[in-house]
Amino acid sequence: MLIPCPHCGTRPVEEFTFLGDAAPTRPTTNDPSSMEAWYEYVYLRNNPRGTIDEYAHHSGGCRAWLVVQRNTETHEVYGAVTARAFASRKEAVAKGEQA
Amino acid sequence: MTERTFNRVSPLQDVAVQGRFGADRGAVGVSFTVRHPMSIITVIARAGQGAATAEALKGYDAQWAGPDQWFVLAEGRGEGALYRELKSKLSGLASVSDQSHGRVIIRIAGTKARAVLAKGTPVDLHADVFPAGKSALTQMAHVGVHLTRVDADTYDLSVFRGFSESFWEWITEQAEEFGYQVI
Repeated sequence: MLIPCPHCGTRPVEEFTFLGDAAPTRPTTNDPSSMEAWYEYVYLRNNPRGTIDEYAHHSGGCRAWLVVQRNTETHEVYGAVTARAFASRKEAVAKGEQA
Repeated sequence: MTERTFNRVSPLQDVAVQGRFGADRGAVGVSFTVRHPMSIITVIARAGQGAATAEALKGYDAQWAGPDQWFVLAEGRGEGALYRELKSKLSGLASVSDQSHGRVIIRIAGTKARAVLAKGTPVDLHADVFPAGKSALTQMAHVGVHLTRVDADTYDLSVFRGFSESFWEWITEQAEEFGYQVI
């Protein structure tokens, strides 16, 4: 599996360390009413068949945190962005939904 | 009290023995040199200061070492001199740390240098995409390597000191089929 690192170019998966699904959003408050959201964030994961965004650390390269989009069924890799870019995109989408 | 000065000893001193090894007919395929002693400084730009730091590093031998990160190298400078200079120059722009004792730079040169490196790294070393002056961070034999192309047939390999002996044994073994010289 080849991953297109935005800093280093195309590299093999052996250079990367995967953390897991990038979809869950960390709750921003410790308020008791948010415990349900914390429970979901910490424990509950989907196991999609198809496209998934996952955190990957380029530990054998530039040491940057990335989010790699791939297909769990076909193993096709669609692309990789920095975790920072992914987070701001997710934030923008969340704001759009609120508005 | 008497002032003591310590000579810096290369971690490869007892391993990198001069001479010719491996295939012993014809010209050697590659030669190895341990660049020692070197001043090696890590520079990591503060948030949003990447471009300003790159600008301030003009005129130095600065090699890309990750997003907004560089290794700044110097030969023949006194212990800590380059560190102190960069520390004051980049104040407020970047974090600076002295890695001179932490890393070893092995230079591999020769017509077969690319063939030797290709055994270990997935980085495309074709001159069109990896020209002289370009650096890449990669792994060879499970060891993290900072790889820089110096010119058409010369590369510098910067590895952590603690891994350098193991790495030396691996890379010289890869060069045996071409014949290699340690200078």
